[in-house]
This record gives sequence, C-alpha cells and structure tokens, in this order.
Amino acid sequence: MKDIARQSLSIKVECMDLLNNQIKKEAHASATYLAMASWCDQNGFFTGAKFFYKQAEEEREHMMKIFQFVIDAGGNALSPEINGISHEYSSIVDIFENALDHEISVTKSIHNIVMKAREVGDLATEKFLDWFVLEQVEEENTIRDILDMIELTGIEGVGLQIIDGKINDWID
Amino acid sequence: MEAVFSSKYYTFFQSDKERCFYIDLGQKVVRLSFCQLLALRQKVSNIRIEDHFDAELNTHGFEILALCNKEHLFILNTLEILDLKELLVGAFAMFEVSLSPVV
Ligand SMILES: [Fe+2]
Ligand SMILES: [Fe+2]
Repeated sequence: MKDIARQSLSIKVECMDLLNNQIKKEAHASATYLAMASWCDQNGFFTGAKFFYKQAEEEREHMMKIFQFVIDAGGNALSPEINGISHEYSSIVDIFENALDHEISVTKSIHNIVMKAREVGDLATEKFLDWFVLEQVEEENTIRDILDMIELTGIEGVGLQIIDGKINDWID
Repeated sequence: MEAVFSSKYYTFFQSDKERCFYIDLGQKVVRLSFCQLLALRQKVSNIRIEDHFDAELNTHGFEILALCNKEHLFILNTLEILDLKELLVGAFAMFEVSLSPVV
C-alpha cells in the first residue's frame, strides 16, 4: 500500500494541528494589539497607538507566515476565529505589562511546538520555527525595554507625555 | 482498494489507483481526497462530545456533518460520533504523517 497521506503532507499531522493553533494565537495577538492601539489613541498616547498599530500588523504577518507554511506543506490551514479581546486597561503601564505577558505566552506556545516537532522527528516544522524562536526574544525585549523606560521616566507631571514621545524610539 | 482500519460501525479504505480514500459509513460510502480527509478529521475532532450530555448545548445529542464541501450530509448520534472519532484516529495512526516516536 502506498502512503498517500505522506505523499500529500510534508509535516506531521499533529504539528499541523499545533501550527493551526498558533495561527489562532498570532491572530489573537494582532487583535489584542489593535485593542491596545485603540486605548492609546483614545487616551492621548498617539505614539503608543502608532506602536501598537504596527505591532498588530506584524502579528498578522506572523500569522500569514505560518498559514503559508501549512499550505506549502500540503496541510489544511484554518482561518482563525478570534474572541475574548480585552479593551479594558487601567494605564499605559498596564497596557505594556499585558503586552509582555501576551508575548511570553506566545513564546511558550512556540517552544511547545518546537519540542513536539523534535519529539516526533518533524524537522521541517522545527526548522521553520527557528525564526519565530528568535523573533520572540526580540519582541519580549522590546516590551521590556519600554517598561524600563516608563519606570525611569516616571508618570508624574509631564512624564506621560515624555513616555509617549519616547515610544517612538521603538518604531522603526 | 485496501481496508486501512475498521471501527465498530465504519471502515476506512485507501485506493492506491485513485489516490484517494473511502469511508464506508453504513448508509453510504464516501470518497475523499486527502484534503477532504484532513477537513473531515478537523471537523470530527472539533466536536465536543461532552456537549452531548448537556441539555442546553446539544438538546438532542445529534451532530450534522457536512462532508466534502457539502456533497454529503450525515446526521450522527453520540455513539456514531465517538466511533467516527475512533475510526479517524485509528486510520491516521497507520500513516507516516502521524505521530511516531523517533528511534
Ligand atoms: Fe507573533
Ligand atoms: Fe509578538
């Protein structure tokens, strides 16, 4: 008997499931950053808003990258359903702390797929995720740096205005 | 056509010549391409069987399953869904694309 399934699909089907799950996560991240951009815009943090609009776009690019990989591997890429986007934030610090937590959970999820791919000998998926592993280090670092900057600047007096202006340093 | 796996009610076949799969669902035999098979696998694994025991989430304990881009329509009860889940897990386990430990 031929292995028609193997001839049609270049990755392990379990990895495909996890990648589809990751597509959902990236879409969720994109939608979350859009909500954060909205909050920033409404609360006068216009540079902050610009930063999050760009983050939202980047997360969508991540999503599409995985989507295309699943398709290229012969898999069934699923358009994600997104729900549970929070629009409630108490401050600009709260926003960035949430953003950091969100990035950390994405990092964990990517590591989890890498470990699974390694376990089942799916080298293609493992190699594909290399870029994401490194990207996550950068993403976490960016948010951490902004949180440090916020702490150094302080939120007293014109602090918030200065903070918003300085966020521009992380928009390239 | 070769039988790949059988569950209690259903049988999964592969046709090397036609490069496709067949599932004998009792009422009829359905022909599936690999893409259609992946879609079916996705659909069936997304069915939350616990909902069948919740009078609000699934009042009657049936699932309506549209297969192969709406070419076929099946109404399956709880036991049949469980059996179909088993069939697909069992059939995929026979393929190299499924989880296998590295030696
Ligand atoms: Fe991402
Ligand atoms: Fe990110």
